[in-house]
Amino acid sequence: MKSSTRILLIAGLSVLGLSSVLTSCDKTIEEPQRVAYTPADVDAKAGSWKTYILTAPTDVTVAAPASTSSAAYLAELNDLKTKSASLTRQQQEAVVYWGAGAVYRWNEIARELAARYNVPPASNADGKYPIPDAANPLADPKFPFANPPYTARALAYLSVAQYDALVAAWHYKYAFKRTAPSKTDASVRVALPVSALPAYPSEDAVVATASYTILKAMFPGEGPFLDAKLAEHRESRLWAGMNVQSDLAAGADLGSQVGAKVMARARTDGMSASNNQTVTAAMIEAAKARGLADVWVSQESPARPPMLPNYGAVSLWNFDRATLVKLRPGPAPLPGSDQFKKELAELQAIQKNQTREQARIANFWADGAGSYTPPGHWARTAADAAHEARFSEIRMARTLALVSTALQDAGVCCWETKFYYYTPRPQQFGVKTSVGLPNFPSYTSGHSTFSGAAAAVLSYVFPERTNEFMAKAQEASVSRIYGMIHFRSDCESGLICGKNIGAYAVSRGKADGSGL
Amino acid sequence: MKRITYLILVALLSLLSAPIWAQMPHDAIYMPRKTVCIAGMYGQSTWTEYWEGTLKRENLNIGRHTTRTAAIMPAIGVSNRVNLILNLPYIWTSTSAGNLMGQKGFQDLSAWLKIKAVEYKGLSVNPIIGGSIPVGNYVPDFLPMSIGMQARSVTGRLLLNYTHPHTGLYVTTHGSYIWRGTIRIDRDAYQADNRVYNTDEVSVPNAYDAAVRLGVVRRAWQTEVFAERFACVNGDNIRRNDMPFPTNKMQMTQVGWYGKIQPRNIGVNARVAYVTDGLNAGQSTSYMLGLLFQLNGK
Repeated sequence: MKSSTRILLIAGLSVLGLSSVLTSCDKTIEEPQRVAYTPADVDAKAGSWKTYILTAPTDVTVAAPASTSSAAYLAELNDLKTKSASLTRQQQEAVVYWGAGAVYRWNEIARELAARYNVPPASNADGKYPIPDAANPLADPKFPFANPPYTARALAYLSVAQYDALVAAWHYKYAFKRTAPSKTDASVRVALPVSALPAYPSEDAVVATASYTILKAMFPGEGPFLDAKLAEHRESRLWAGMNVQSDLAAGADLGSQVGAKVMARARTDGMSASNNQTVTAAMIEAAKARGLADVWVSQESPARPPMLPNYGAVSLWNFDRATLVKLRPGPAPLPGSDQFKKELAELQAIQKNQTREQARIANFWADGAGSYTPPGHWARTAADAAHEARFSEIRMARTLALVSTALQDAGVCCWETKFYYYTPRPQQFGVKTSVGLPNFPSYTSGHSTFSGAAAAVLSYVFPERTNEFMAKAQEASVSRIYGMIHFRSDCESGLICGKNIGAYAVSRGKADGSGL
Repeated sequence: MKRITYLILVALLSLLSAPIWAQMPHDAIYMPRKTVCIAGMYGQSTWTEYWEGTLKRENLNIGRHTTRTAAIMPAIGVSNRVNLILNLPYIWTSTSAGNLMGQKGFQDLSAWLKIKAVEYKGLSVNPIIGGSIPVGNYVPDFLPMSIGMQARSVTGRLLLNYTHPHTGLYVTTHGSYIWRGTIRIDRDAYQADNRVYNTDEVSVPNAYDAAVRLGVVRRAWQTEVFAERFACVNGDNIRRNDMPFPTNKMQMTQVGWYGKIQPRNIGVNARVAYVTDGLNAGQSTSYMLGLLFQLNGK
């Protein structure tokens, strides 16, 4: 008796002691900090790189700047000296935050907005799912529902606008060659590293305004939030002593011109018809005619119409429709076939005995409701890699444009495949999930397709990290098996198809005049 | 096995003597020095409606959500005025609809040190400190299926009791502050407070609880009604039609009944409770049944 009492006593006191030592009073959450750097290469020739929407940098105009010896410029310099002389703590924080990179931060902001809007609408009292209304974006349900296809598209347009705008900006920078304020007047106090890049028009203002134009169109309820970000970004360049007002004004003008041109494509890319539910009847008939008896059926209650059944018809970036048909994988194993039974048994075995490591992998890559989605996950991976490689703003934008257009191509291709085959989810055969079930057909896996495409592009941009990116894509793919919402065929075919899709973006990158 | 047989034997033998004192971290009942009471408890808590922020709703893709708990809870009389209570629950979750996979496992081991600091004519003042540490590597953010939140916690509690010496009528009230640590999740980004955190570290809000209990305690039995309040001091709301998250500001008020019969060294206790009001929480109905074994160490 005595000894067991003693054991209990020791156990109890240890729990009390340990919990009080380990329960920290400090609840601050530490996030990885990204800081400013001098780019490894300013990419002085980038004004001639191939653009996506612009036919040439001269599609947009920038007025010639006042010379650095003009009275107007000297007045701007004086104003800059006043603004950058002493900063409040808040101003310092803004300088550090935006100093990490204009493209980097606006991509991060886009991911945050995607997460904020990534929740499926709730059903109403009639058992129907109201459709988000772009004209009333903050009503319930909020517009948009930033699901993976929507987010892939938003990020693609964002990165394309940033990239095209920066190519034009580089063109004009080297046409005008107006030096940075601190190189004109050494008494300007700068808070960030200054490179050899000409300052007019300001690349920060270009990126900020182009990004603002895209994001405000993609997330129309976020006007005030985006206004504040735009204003702070521009101000931070003055506080940091990096740009005079005319650098910023010219950049903003250029950025909004490019933003408008890019949005013109977005308005006619077929996205507005992507949720056309009338197309599904013919898709189901076609799938049945090919021998599929058990087609996909929504597992939600009440049954929810499938997510964007016509997204497969949205415009592509890096290849044409004929290529898309060729890229579509062959059919999945039919329910009842030996291969199907084997793949179902694999999921049933995981459901019975999911390991903690399988759960961890499924959770890490889940990127479900309330997250920035798989395209956001890969955009973050790409932006972090480019930041670690000390890419110039324009090379960062090029990387993200290559990755994001490949991601949207992957989304379009995968959605076309999903609704072409219309295959059932494992949940239609009694399997549960540890990550939540998306509401659209199973074959092929979106995660696998997105990941294959992104990893292929990243392996081209960062060849020394190929193994790492390919391993990540493989893990993202198999995570959907571990989460029990995809059959192995869904994942394996999706991953291969994704890599093939990525190859088209890589070809573009190799031929874009960057020599990279 | 042998040890259990031995413990049961000791329990049965000691049936012949001694009064009983099965007790909890929220009462003013103390085990005498060198006695141990081991409670084995089973409980079930279910809800079909929950508060998504302030919006009360059902979820047809969950149906009825059930949490079952089996716990072992030894209480030790360190001295007549100092008791130590331990609790280790094993938890299962399930739903009646939808396809979310139930989770199960050992949750958090907690310990409570209860001290009768002042006693005067039936009135007592009892400071209590508690702590808990997760013992299972369960997933904390697959809510509402997760069995716990992986947060280490420390609780500071002050409990006041007045028991009428002749009738056993009593009133007990307590208030506590619960410090909860940060946790790590499997993902490296999540959304909370309307922003994205690019890390796997999550802050679980601190909380307070408070309760009032009215009852009668006699030598062999006890009965009481209670009202309890649990509330996170900060945190965010569940987003519209999204799943809960460990950062949520959970709050609830519940009322219930607790009773115990322990004529000798073996007894039973039972508890029923119903959540009347809440925020980011299920409107649960719960019951618990326990078997008590008292071991006298003299």
